[in-house]
Amino acid sequence: MSTEIVSLSVSRPRHLSVTRVIGAALLLALAAFAVLGPWLVQADPAQQDFSASLAPIGGEYLLGADHYGRSLLARLAHGARLSFGMAFLTMLTAAIPGVLLGLAAAWRGGWLERMLELLANIVLALPGLMLVLLLLAFAPGNFGPLYFGLALTLWVEFYRITRATTATILKQPHIEAAKLLGFGSGYILRNYVLPSIAPLIATLAAFAMATAIIAISTLSAISVGLQPPTPELGSMIVELLPYYAEAPVHVLLPAVLIFLLVLGLQLVARKDNP
Amino acid sequence: MNAPANIRELLISELSIHSGATPIVRNISLSLRPGQPLTLLGESGSGKSLVAQAVMGTLPPELAASRTIRLDGADLIASPPEERRNRWGRAISLLPQEPWLALDPTMRVGPQVAEVHRFVRGNAVSQSNALAQANLADVGLGHAGALYSFQMSGGMCQRAAIAIAHAGGSGLLIADEPTKGLDADLRDSVVTRLKQEVEAGRLLLTITHDIGAARTLGGTVGIMLEGRLVDYGPAEQVLTAPSHPYSRALLDADPESWARRAPTPSEDVVLAGRGLTKAFGAHVLFKDIDIEVRAGEIVSVVGPSGCGKTTVGNILLGLVEPDAGSIERRMKVSPLRFQKLYQDPPAAFPPHQTIRTGLRDLAKLHRRPWSGVEKLLTRLRLQNDLLDRLPSQISGGELQRFAIVRALLLDPVFLFADEATSRLDPVSQKEVIDFLIQTVRETGLGVLLVTHDRALAKRISTRTIDLAGADEARPG
Repeated sequence: MSTEIVSLSVSRPRHLSVTRVIGAALLLALAAFAVLGPWLVQADPAQQDFSASLAPIGGEYLLGADHYGRSLLARLAHGARLSFGMAFLTMLTAAIPGVLLGLAAAWRGGWLERMLELLANIVLALPGLMLVLLLLAFAPGNFGPLYFGLALTLWVEFYRITRATTATILKQPHIEAAKLLGFGSGYILRNYVLPSIAPLIATLAAFAMATAIIAISTLSAISVGLQPPTPELGSMIVELLPYYAEAPVHVLLPAVLIFLLVLGLQLVARKDNP
Repeated sequence: MNAPANIRELLISELSIHSGATPIVRNISLSLRPGQPLTLLGESGSGKSLVAQAVMGTLPPELAASRTIRLDGADLIASPPEERRNRWGRAISLLPQEPWLALDPTMRVGPQVAEVHRFVRGNAVSQSNALAQANLADVGLGHAGALYSFQMSGGMCQRAAIAIAHAGGSGLLIADEPTKGLDADLRDSVVTRLKQEVEAGRLLLTITHDIGAARTLGGTVGIMLEGRLVDYGPAEQVLTAPSHPYSRALLDADPESWARRAPTPSEDVVLAGRGLTKAFGAHVLFKDIDIEVRAGEIVSVVGPSGCGKTTVGNILLGLVEPDAGSIERRMKVSPLRFQKLYQDPPAAFPPHQTIRTGLRDLAKLHRRPWSGVEKLLTRLRLQNDLLDRLPSQISGGELQRFAIVRALLLDPVFLFADEATSRLDPVSQKEVIDFLIQTVRETGLGVLLVTHDRALAKRISTRTIDLAGADEARPG
């Protein structure tokens, strides 16, 4: 009894849900702050001015200054850029091999798929943060191992989703028809498989970025990630924590920024309402 | 025990259904009385399902129904949602299409009937179970209460759905495509069952594109086209001497009324399978069968669902490996010239690609000029503006013709048509079959037609292989 209904809903134009628009707007604003902020705010995020230690919000320093008298606005802008940039890079480094390996496993099957499944299971069995800590032990406080360790835990999700959805798509009659008509595997993957899995991958990418942002701040907060004086949001919270009684809002600012970043990513990744 | 609720009449007068300002169903007037089942015929998109949804009160919110539908005086369109919901199961029951999908697969059938007595009618547990057993016995399923839906045949599932409707005490049954996906024997048993419902005094509204079913049910028949009721009257009259040209086309399209017109084959064997055997696990599909397809002939494979008809074709195409036996293809013919048509046309086209892109890429890949595509489109009477649509925006019949274009572009010598017309309405089915026969005559194509429609197979094929009996029948 549903044939008519299906054809009706197909002809209706697609539009994004309100939550996704809000999420996208939030992300856009934060991206502008992260990209343009460091350039607009001329202040050096490492410039100390002890006379302005813990300066209040709205005075000479727009968002106040921390205990060393460093401009919080400048530090937040640089911190946002760092978090955003690192999360993006981590996501790409995880997504590209994850998707490619997933496609390869679904297409070839056999021993290749079994080996990749084994590898993915091994990585999944290790706690993600432990893997990062393990790598960080080689070069503490460095950008490289932190980023590499995160990518190493995040690719599994891309791989698994890609493999599972691709395997379902490849079983459909239109793929068999395309093979009978003489189309090669490259054409089929590019034109038939990728358009179908792209929305899923985009959602995963947003979630992966959110995970990366949280992980980077968490690790920096427990002083194994990036080290001071790098303006990293997590380590900023920890640095300001002893002064909570005098300047409570100062501590909250980086936390709010992390919250907004993750919220924006989560909203964008939300499924269109059913 | 099985006394139907007392409903004397369903009266639909001047029903229209609008989507925004666009009318989809226009000015339908029907009436339905005990002993006079009503069958609505028409292709998908003709609005017949919408009429049934309007009666149920399940129209999607963006559609608005106007004028009146009266069930014994109660106005169904004007009644508030909770009143409508109260009628579901108690006064009006829907017999869903493909009931094996509508029954709960995790629950035995007996409890599924008993829960209607328990929760809809508010009876005690032991009494519900007894009543459910009686309902099942009524439809000849007295022994089947402990089975799950996946352990039952399609016909048994259909009867279980009817038992559930009995349990609710509905006086009006709406049967949505009750014969869809059933092979001939099961189809007859389901239609007989529906007739018994009518004889028991229930009102029956059937929606179908199965003309045979409409004929057996009798009563009143309505034929719908583009949201209008173009023919309406007693079954004998509408199904023998229809007044509207579309109704005539619809009746002519029923394979039962075709003349036999199998093409004459040549001696040239295109593809042959010898001693083919295939089993899935312990279940042997077929054993040691021989199939030959010659140039310019149509060979049909018939049999009940699940007998391995499709597997035979897939083995011949090399898509499935046989357990034993060999395939012989004509020498020095490119494998691209062995093609396949699929049962479900929308699934045979990539959902994100417009038809034009697909055909253009195919023409480019095999260095065929676009003019060749256009020639085929004209021959298959496909409009140019369809090219820029996605597969989901084109009707099944047109899509199947595009699939033929796609195959013919490669100049095939063999075509495996896997239930290629079973999901199409009779008019589209006839068009597709006509084009196939024409192509077979003109190009010497060999076709293997897999179908559950024996009438169709008998009319158009030179030979029929019956997998139920598994021996080859000679033309007669």
